[in-house]
Amino acid sequence: MTIKRAAAIVGIGQTNWRQDYQRVKAGECPTDSYGYGAQAFVGALKDAGLQRNDIDGLIVGPTTANERMGEVLGLDVRWGGQADAVQAVMQAVMAIETGMAEVVALVYGNDQRSAGTQYGGPEAMGAASFLSYVYHAPWGFTSQGALYAMMFRAYQHERGFTERQLGEVAVAQRAWSSLNPDAVMQERVTIDDYLNSRYVCEPLHLLDYCLINDGGVALIVAEASRAKKISKNPIYIEALGRSDINKGATVLEPRLTNFYLPAQQQCAEQVFNAAGLGPKDINVAQIYDSFSLHVPLALEGYGYCAVGEAGKFLTEQGIGPGGTLAVNTSGGHLSDSYMQGWNHQIESIKQLRGTAGKRQVDNCRFVHYSSDVAGKAMSIIYGR
Amino acid sequence: MTESQTLPVMPTRVMGLYDKPFWDHVQQRSMCLQRCGHCQAFQYPPGPVCSACLSEDLNWTKVSGRATILSWVVFHRKYLEGYPAPYNVITVRLDEGPIMVSNLEGPQPDGSWIGASVDLCYAEMARGLLLPRFKLGA
Repeated sequence: MTIKRAAAIVGIGQTNWRQDYQRVKAGECPTDSYGYGAQAFVGALKDAGLQRNDIDGLIVGPTTANERMGEVLGLDVRWGGQADAVQAVMQAVMAIETGMAEVVALVYGNDQRSAGTQYGGPEAMGAASFLSYVYHAPWGFTSQGALYAMMFRAYQHERGFTERQLGEVAVAQRAWSSLNPDAVMQERVTIDDYLNSRYVCEPLHLLDYCLINDGGVALIVAEASRAKKISKNPIYIEALGRSDINKGATVLEPRLTNFYLPAQQQCAEQVFNAAGLGPKDINVAQIYDSFSLHVPLALEGYGYCAVGEAGKFLTEQGIGPGGTLAVNTSGGHLSDSYMQGWNHQIESIKQLRGTAGKRQVDNCRFVHYSSDVAGKAMSIIYGR
Repeated sequence: MTESQTLPVMPTRVMGLYDKPFWDHVQQRSMCLQRCGHCQAFQYPPGPVCSACLSEDLNWTKVSGRATILSWVVFHRKYLEGYPAPYNVITVRLDEGPIMVSNLEGPQPDGSWIGASVDLCYAEMARGLLLPRFKLGA
């Protein structure tokens, strides 16, 4: 069975995270996670031209409870779930394929900045899912950034990759976000700005880290024949892929010894074969980027360049405006907004609809989203 | 000044059913890991079954204390009591096979730390708790 073009995105919504970033900085709490989700949901319904009672499935992000979000939004549905961004899309497609739902709302809201969510330290979030986030606290090893710093040092050693090459990711994504009026950070940075930015956990610089900001994102996924009736330009889910590494995860064995490469390669084979496409057919790559290091790993893992060539690819071919491969065209988590993979989904839709404004990639036919959180390599290919 | 103010506070340890014997052995300056009686594999973190062969025949076995550095970082930000910045964290591969996260005490290698041989030592933390760390091999 294939899911090829069985479901499509018919509506997207987002909060004004640029404005809310300033409000939170000024000491305000504009709303809570449910409020951000509600704002985005209202936007997505409007974008789709749907009524609330057209929705028969609800998937919420990991930061909110499904029942309470359904209650807040006044939604009684026949199917529900809770998932991160990529798995939310996968679950929606599976629900549609199995007839459990026909029009599914995916709703994410996160008040992480105003609520002071900790990603490192004694209250580090994520421990329920990933033991490595807290297990090494007795040795002062905490924060997800530190996990990537440890990985980057080993990767540098193995591949001869330099800090300057990694800096190209932050520079390119800021060049994209300078063309995105909704992005939190829009001021361009140079490679020297990057190299001069302070270390947080050496060898990673401040500009390798994602933003921490409040916001919400919503998408509406519909069964393909319904989607055609709802929308003039539905964006189809062409293929999904997933490959997990769990062995040695807590002590970082795959992070330090293979950089998740086998998982990404297996996921690439699945998703590209299912779509009947290859890396050369992809117009925009959206790569989950809680840290810049995700980008070179995915470039190698998905065959956008040869293994060991990501540094050269970043400096000589480029991933910014005018580069060989457009990557994270909204600015991603580093510069647009840290919506934990959700803003990458709506940026994919904007690029395929041709509504991405100054950062629009010409003749965008296919967008590939990839995430490799904790060695679980997952992918979606979207197409017009 | 009391001793608890001079020695660094150990951050909260994950203390599941199978972690307790690990820390009890550390406290005796005799770090042990689970070793499978069926396939002889060592494992860390400890768990209910051997992850290599699923046998429940696991025995706490003292390790040699010899290891090799796989990677290292330097924190420039303070996250935890007991760890004012800057401080290092290393990952090592124990001679017995498993990888462990720890700190390097004492002199540091020139240039890259990766591949350096290190030996187990025990650092005293507040409230008399011991923490397994490593120092450069002789």
